[in-house]
Amino acid sequence: MNGLLQDFRYAVRQLRKSPGFAAVAIITLALGIGANTAIFSLLDQALLRSLPVKDVDRLVILNYSGSNTGRLQSRADGHFYFSYPMYRDLHDRNSVFSGMIATDFTQVGVQWHNQPDLVGAELVSGNYFDVLGLQPAAGRLFVTADDVVADANPVVVLSFSYWQRRFGSDPGILNQSVLVNGHPFTVVGVAPPGFHSVVMGDTPDVFVPMMMKAEVIPGSMDLEDRRSSWLNIVGKLKPGLSREQAEAGVGPLWSAIRSDELKEIKGGSENFRDRFVNKSQLFVLDGARGFSPLRSDVQMPLLIVMGMVGLVALMACANVGSLLLVRGAGRIREMSVRYALGAKQKRVIQQLLVEGLLLGLAGGLFGMLLAPRVSSVLITMIWGGGTGDLPFSAKPDLRIMLFNCGLALLASLLFSLAPALQFWRPDLAPALKQQGMTARSGPLRFRRISVAVQIGLSLVLLVGAGLFVRTLHNLRSVNAGFATDHLLTFGVDPRMAGYEPDRTFALYQRMFETLRGLPGVRAVAATNDPELANDNETGNVTISGYADKPDENMQVEQPNVSVDYFSTMQMPLLAGRVFTDQDSAGSQKVAIVNESFARHYFGDPQQALGHFVANGGGKGVKPDIVIVGVVKDAKHVSLREPVTRTVFFPYLQSPELHAMTFYVRTWQQPESAESTIRRAMQTLDANLVLDTFRTMDEQIDNNLTAERVIALLASGFGVLAALMAAVGLYGVLAYSTTQRTSEIGIRMALGATRGSVVRMVMFEVLWLAGISIAIALPVSLLLMSAVRSQLYGISSSDPLTLGLTIVVVTLVAIASAMLPARRASRVEPMKALRYE
Amino acid sequence: MIQLKNIERTYKSGAGQTWVLRRVNLEIQPGEFITVMGPSGAGKSSLLNVLAFLDDQWTGEYWFREQAAYTMKRKERAELAKKNIGMVFQSYHLLDDLTVMENIDLPLSYKDIPRSERQSLVADTLDRFRIVAKKDLYPSQLSGGQQQLVGVARGVIHKPALLLADEPTGNLHSEQAKEIMELFRELNQQGTTIVQVTHSEANAAYGTRTIQMRDGWVVGDTANPNLSPANLTATEPRDAAVNR
Ligand SMILES: Nc1ncnc2c1ncn2[C@@H]1O[C@H](COP(=O)(O)OP(=O)(O)OP(=O)(O)O)[C@@H](O)[C@H]1O
Ligand SMILES: [Mg+2]
Repeated sequence: MNGLLQDFRYAVRQLRKSPGFAAVAIITLALGIGANTAIFSLLDQALLRSLPVKDVDRLVILNYSGSNTGRLQSRADGHFYFSYPMYRDLHDRNSVFSGMIATDFTQVGVQWHNQPDLVGAELVSGNYFDVLGLQPAAGRLFVTADDVVADANPVVVLSFSYWQRRFGSDPGILNQSVLVNGHPFTVVGVAPPGFHSVVMGDTPDVFVPMMMKAEVIPGSMDLEDRRSSWLNIVGKLKPGLSREQAEAGVGPLWSAIRSDELKEIKGGSENFRDRFVNKSQLFVLDGARGFSPLRSDVQMPLLIVMGMVGLVALMACANVGSLLLVRGAGRIREMSVRYALGAKQKRVIQQLLVEGLLLGLAGGLFGMLLAPRVSSVLITMIWGGGTGDLPFSAKPDLRIMLFNCGLALLASLLFSLAPALQFWRPDLAPALKQQGMTARSGPLRFRRISVAVQIGLSLVLLVGAGLFVRTLHNLRSVNAGFATDHLLTFGVDPRMAGYEPDRTFALYQRMFETLRGLPGVRAVAATNDPELANDNETGNVTISGYADKPDENMQVEQPNVSVDYFSTMQMPLLAGRVFTDQDSAGSQKVAIVNESFARHYFGDPQQALGHFVANGGGKGVKPDIVIVGVVKDAKHVSLREPVTRTVFFPYLQSPELHAMTFYVRTWQQPESAESTIRRAMQTLDANLVLDTFRTMDEQIDNNLTAERVIALLASGFGVLAALMAAVGLYGVLAYSTTQRTSEIGIRMALGATRGSVVRMVMFEVLWLAGISIAIALPVSLLLMSAVRSQLYGISSSDPLTLGLTIVVVTLVAIASAMLPARRASRVEPMKALRYE
Repeated sequence: MIQLKNIERTYKSGAGQTWVLRRVNLEIQPGEFITVMGPSGAGKSSLLNVLAFLDDQWTGEYWFREQAAYTMKRKERAELAKKNIGMVFQSYHLLDDLTVMENIDLPLSYKDIPRSERQSLVADTLDRFRIVAKKDLYPSQLSGGQQQLVGVARGVIHKPALLLADEPTGNLHSEQAKEIMELFRELNQQGTTIVQVTHSEANAAYGTRTIQMRDGWVVGDTANPNLSPANLTATEPRDAAVNR
């Protein structure tokens, strides 16, 4: 034990003697551990962790195939939603689920003590908490009786963090009344801590019974509409049933439900009607980790980031390994002397292990300090700007942290034994003779391999960086189809300020007038379907004189826009006219379609004019809305998504208007107009809640978060990798040229010129770089084609990017060879030969 | 062939200077086989380094075939050396990673010689030194004598006019040493001028002229009997403190 303490002291002294080595090794380890832990903790939360609820492995998510002809709300993730009658039928008539819940997420205005607050809300079926087996943190949770009669039970359950945040965890709030969208609701309880929602990534602040939908989503009258799909269903399997059995068991019921829906669809070909029932299937999917549109959003980006971190960690390992090995090689003599002086092998090895342990521990310690910081930086980078709770915590997962630390410790212990392995060889004599010629080729070969690996990895990372940066650039420079500069946007929902539908139009008129009168404002427009907001809401159309093919997708975007919409957004008119004030409630109904719509259905913009369309599909629908204009295509869902066919309606002719998104075109920087607008609206009505105030450029940036994060991280990691490779390469060359001093001296004595010595060193570099590039290139092609879906406007094997990256990597290699090559060429043959 | 006039070489040592070569005057005729002798530290190797243009920190005049080498630039001297001088070292200095053939080829690789000519030169040399059978072996697979044989072969492959050898037999036993010396004699008879450093009287016997050195001074020369230690001491008293 005494010896151990002495070894420990000696190890500290050794490390302090070479602070550069110690610092590089510790920083490398810390970065590896920290970044890895952070990423894996996030990945675990996003992709792997189960919901904190009872019997989680029995939870399933329902989904279905087959066409959908009604009103469809989806988050652009391809998931099909259900209507409330569908849910009721499935819930009441199935024999395979012991419980089934319905859920939908929205935003509401909550007012308490006269202070309005825009919060996330989850509309849930009454059995929600019961099926999930959750216990209240205070008060009670919903029971089935809360959710039977429409509009009858204005009760609300708070999320734990909202209760903390807004009500200071005061139990006194129970049984008190708060205003939700202007309606009094009673707070009955608080959800347990740690539970957010059954939908992964959603963080509602309040839960409301589904029967209160009309209050929570004012103006929605579709609870009983079989053809309006908007909710998610999560089921709980009966004990002992597999998902396959449940799927088979619920099949006939699903067919019956589809038949019921078909009864409400007028028209359609025989083929369509047949397929509608028989080609539709209900799927029962694993739901233990919650239904998660977020998961599919973040999965690929997180996996990519994880891949990058993995590569960097690999490089770090190779770097520390070669550092330790070279250091070990330098200490073979010391080891040999100790050994010759009678030290037991055990002691010598113990000494080395203590040093490795020290390095590993220091690296681990700093890594642990680093991990939560990396996490929170990543979280704010990806979800920054959002309000309320973030779905992920920055707290690193202890198991993952320990695993990473263990790995780092193991690696440093392993590599620290290198000198022992080398001096273990029987031929001690040459080692004692200081030259240790026999010992040098081992670490040099390892270093060469390690450097080749590092060059290769940095090539992979740099190719990734190049492709992602160019993707971001491509997306940024996509022509949106309308002018995105000097454009300020905000949303407003008058219902949250207690406006009834009949007063909404008047409010909007006053808002337009006020906004137009503000200094610096060029134009104002509004729509109920915001641009580039990453969500779409489509509906069926019927077009007079157009015979749709069987199963043809007649879903189109149907935004209601204000009169000046096209001039404000600067969407050019291709044919006909734009809306005017005369297109009002009483007059002939009109519509403007986009170019894609016109070309698809009529072949040409001019041809579309004068045709009639109608909302919805089926036999009973009479197209009575005349197309008066065609505008040029513009991106709607996001810059990435292709243009969708669109029919614009004048908002004055829409039967009802609710939330609108306003666009204010300014003369100056749009940011500067925000406070003026807020003040003006405040004067108009103090109760109005204006949400998501941002410029269009911010909106686009927001839209491109994943791309930005990946591009940023990829560039960061790419540069880091190139630096590490450069340092590694420099180390190898410096080492190998010192080792070769006498060789170089001999060569010069035999007639080698300084130039040819430089060439010799450069050749070694280019040879190394060439081989690693040759190996890394196909690897990166393979990896990049795996992340193809994240690229935009660029091929995963883009020759320009590949070529440039190769040039950059080669230049980095040459640059790091410069100094060693220069030093080699300065060798004095006379001196080199003297110390043969 | 070579004329050295007043060559001096010093090393900085601490505050002062150490004299390594002192007013060396030497004339070497073509076809001579000179042996340089003297105690350890006398400056023999230093003199060879000057002759080989490996050193350029000396003062004095160095004429090589009537050319004023001492006024040349470093590059020109290197060029001159490359063309005219071959070297053989005490510890052979073969490159471990190269085969015998590649080692021999090394001096040629630094010259603009067509590949075919290079190959035939290497083949000739291997033949001449009777090491054809060993051409694909590595130095570590040869005995000391064989290694030095390769060292000499490498030193003369480009047919230098002057061959410099610093204790070429220092690491060899007498039988091997004799072989190398026979070889030197042969080369000398074929016209190569040779300057060798040795501690062995037997080796010196192969030469045509012997130079004695001590503490940086040339103190004896069989071609110049006038040069005697006694003379020297009279004109230039030695200063032990500076010398050592
Ligand atoms: N780089 C140097 N720095 C300082 N002094 C040097 C250097 N090289 C040689 N010397 C000195 O020059 C003197 C002559 O050295 P040199 O190698 O020429 O002797 P030598 O006659 O070849 O001896 P040996 O027979 O031992 O080989 C010695 O005193 C030595 O210490
Ligand atoms: Mg010597």
